[in-house]
Amino acid sequence: MGWYILKRIVQTIPVIVFATLIIYALVFLRPGDPVLNLFGDKPVSEATRATIESQYNLDKPFIVQWLLFLKGAVTFDFGTSFSGQPVIDQIQRAFPVSVTLALMAVAFEAVFAIIIGTYAGIRRGGWFDGVSLVVSLVIVAVPIFVIGFLFQIFIGIKAGIDWLPATVGGDWTVTDLIMPAIVLGLTSLAFAMRLTRGSVSENLAADHVRTARAKGLSEGKVVRNHVLRNSLIPVVTFLGADLGTLMAGAIVTEGIFNIPGIGGLAYSAILKGESPTIVSVVTLMVLIYVVMSLLVDLLYAWLDPRIRYA
Amino acid sequence: MRLTRRVRLAGVALAASALVLSACGGSDDDSGEATDAIISVNGSEPENPLIPTATNETGGGNPIQNLFAGLVSYNADGSTTNEVAESIESDDATLWTVTLNDGWTFTDGSPVTAESFVNAWNYGADPANAQLNAYFFYPIEGTNDEGNTPEGVSTISGLTVVDDTTFTIKLKKPESDFPLRLGYSAYFPLPEAAFGPDGKITSEYGERPIGNGPYMLSDSGWEHDVQISMVTNPDYDGARNPANGGLTFKFYADLDAAYTDLVGGDLDVLDTVPDSALATFESDDVQAFNEAGSVFQSFTIPESLPHFSGEEGKLRRQAISYAINREEVTDKIFDGTRTPAEDFTAPVLDGWTADVEGNEVLSFDETKAQELWAEADAISPWTGSFQIAYNTDGGHKAWVDATTNQIKNALGIDSSGAPYATFDELRAKVNDKTITTAFRTGWQADYPSMLNYLGPLYGTGAGSNDGDYSNPEFDATIADAASTEGDDRYSLIEDAQAILFTDLPAIPLWYSNIAAAAATDVDNVEFTWQNLPDYYKITK
Repeated sequence: MGWYILKRIVQTIPVIVFATLIIYALVFLRPGDPVLNLFGDKPVSEATRATIESQYNLDKPFIVQWLLFLKGAVTFDFGTSFSGQPVIDQIQRAFPVSVTLALMAVAFEAVFAIIIGTYAGIRRGGWFDGVSLVVSLVIVAVPIFVIGFLFQIFIGIKAGIDWLPATVGGDWTVTDLIMPAIVLGLTSLAFAMRLTRGSVSENLAADHVRTARAKGLSEGKVVRNHVLRNSLIPVVTFLGADLGTLMAGAIVTEGIFNIPGIGGLAYSAILKGESPTIVSVVTLMVLIYVVMSLLVDLLYAWLDPRIRYA
Repeated sequence: MRLTRRVRLAGVALAASALVLSACGGSDDDSGEATDAIISVNGSEPENPLIPTATNETGGGNPIQNLFAGLVSYNADGSTTNEVAESIESDDATLWTVTLNDGWTFTDGSPVTAESFVNAWNYGADPANAQLNAYFFYPIEGTNDEGNTPEGVSTISGLTVVDDTTFTIKLKKPESDFPLRLGYSAYFPLPEAAFGPDGKITSEYGERPIGNGPYMLSDSGWEHDVQISMVTNPDYDGARNPANGGLTFKFYADLDAAYTDLVGGDLDVLDTVPDSALATFESDDVQAFNEAGSVFQSFTIPESLPHFSGEEGKLRRQAISYAINREEVTDKIFDGTRTPAEDFTAPVLDGWTADVEGNEVLSFDETKAQELWAEADAISPWTGSFQIAYNTDGGHKAWVDATTNQIKNALGIDSSGAPYATFDELRAKVNDKTITTAFRTGWQADYPSMLNYLGPLYGTGAGSNDGDYSNPEFDATIADAASTEGDDRYSLIEDAQAILFTDLPAIPLWYSNIAAAAATDVDNVEFTWQNLPDYYKITK
């Protein structure tokens, strides 16, 4: 087991190195001229341009830019944004709120998806199954910003509940994030719910479940120990990958609720062509995906005793 | 009709008397006008250190205007009042002598001297410091067209310190309204404490600047990604005495969230209403402001485009201008938050008039458009498609689509938008002159003068002359106007604009309005020529 984890961690090193190379190449191929963004509609002199380009290594070929980035990254120096702020500071500010938001969203998703999905799977074809299907279809069909604005107006402003503010802002607390987390998790909740339901109803007809019933186990024990653990494998896979997606891909939710997170940081850096920020953020996301998939793989072994890692 | 004042400020006398009142109240008896209320306004995380010459975007610029005081400050109507300067005088409009008032200090106690200004400007112009506002120094002798000193030279040769309270500014050419420029943030002074031992402005200073303005940073100051909070500066004794207790610039990456906070009571003043609320904000439960502003919008047809040079080009430009129904676009696309253009400047400026010769070309007249287009076709038949390039990260798609549709319908030619993903991608194409279509252009003036809308954009070889327009007659008229004063100056500006209306280097579209909102319990929200609230006047 320990050997397996070590092997997986060592494997991430080339993944990260090549991820940064690909991202650097993409940023380099981005059309336009980042220096012009800084000056807006005012002219820039050649001398000033040269100063800025050498300061941010923009004048070097991209392979050199990349190597310089790697050299710095090894010592945790990820460069500075065009505003002169160290990228590491920007990430340190944006990361905690994004992680908290994503964890809260996934927790919300997991709890409700598994409970509702399992119940719907057991009572397949019943009225609860039917209602949950219709509700999940509606949630998937409505764009996230519509849901976000509706929550914001009716709960944040009209209802006037103090601990559920309409916007979050930079000085956030965990309770501030409850509403955004629910909005963020809703779409995935619908997916995870359908996934659980399908998996549970399939497993109910499996041989090992019939055997467990034949042994005379109570229906509750059959569902908890024999159906659910097996059924959770696809759900856990989905939720694990979703955590990474929600962390980096929450731009819309972040915008609606004014949350200064990783998504917004990456988005504005891309618009400005700030390669150090873009590459650092994306590398971080790659790292999170790698760690999450490792955790998911380890969870498999716990959920399904047939899976063993040597 | 000649409007010598901002249109919206019908009661200038009233505003002036309010100023006097607040000035009286500010000194000893604070109970009447001034309050201790902290006003929250929208802002965004500054993209640059909080240094006057380094900040050219509103996230940092708006706080800086409140933290510093320059030689002059702008009144709401675009005129200026001396602040740190006691006088700014010149005999020939070229060599200006600036005398400072005694007694001004920075909040660290050090005095504001001639050196404070000259050192700050020298720093801003030196290309080694790569300051984004260097451009503002270009009128001064010893700088190039982009406002930089030559490489390796760290002082502007046109600036001379005479003594602690006097310095002189030598310009490249006569400019009778030069003092109007000096209220801009690029010309603010810096204390000695700003500079480190290596002569560079320290990063600590950029995080926590020491200024001489009506406000100073509070103890919490600039909290990254959260807000900038400032309180009144007790030592300040200038023209902008705060009527409130302080300002908090709350950061929003998305204006929609700021509007939500305003409606929900968590924000006092929002200087720009987001597109999503434009249709409703005047009926929502907020104070709504919708007034003509100082931003001029247009699109430029470069001289190099086929069919757009010479006599044929003139005819086609005029035809296209007649083909656009500006009223309809400002109404339908912008919900009345743009005002159809009547000239090449902006209606909030001194001397502005709606009666420039030749501006009927801005009216919608399909028949006229078709006639002119046919005349041009007689010179050389039209081929290809007429496209307007725009950046998709700035909300321009809707009006470009509408405008090109109007052109298509009126002239019966193929016309469409040419989208670019980012602002810099479009600008890179425009700057290196490889763009093969017309493109959107806009201008917000650096100082409140009509000339600033003309010279830098249409003068031969000027820095922002994106279409490579060149007309010696126009250049001469502008130069004349720059060295003339009073009504003669305004009539020269009219003449210059009349030339532009026959050549149409850019097709004027509309002026962006100030579309702002404030909470219902906030008073005294007025807007400056820079389309920003006059922060120091706001009360609650």
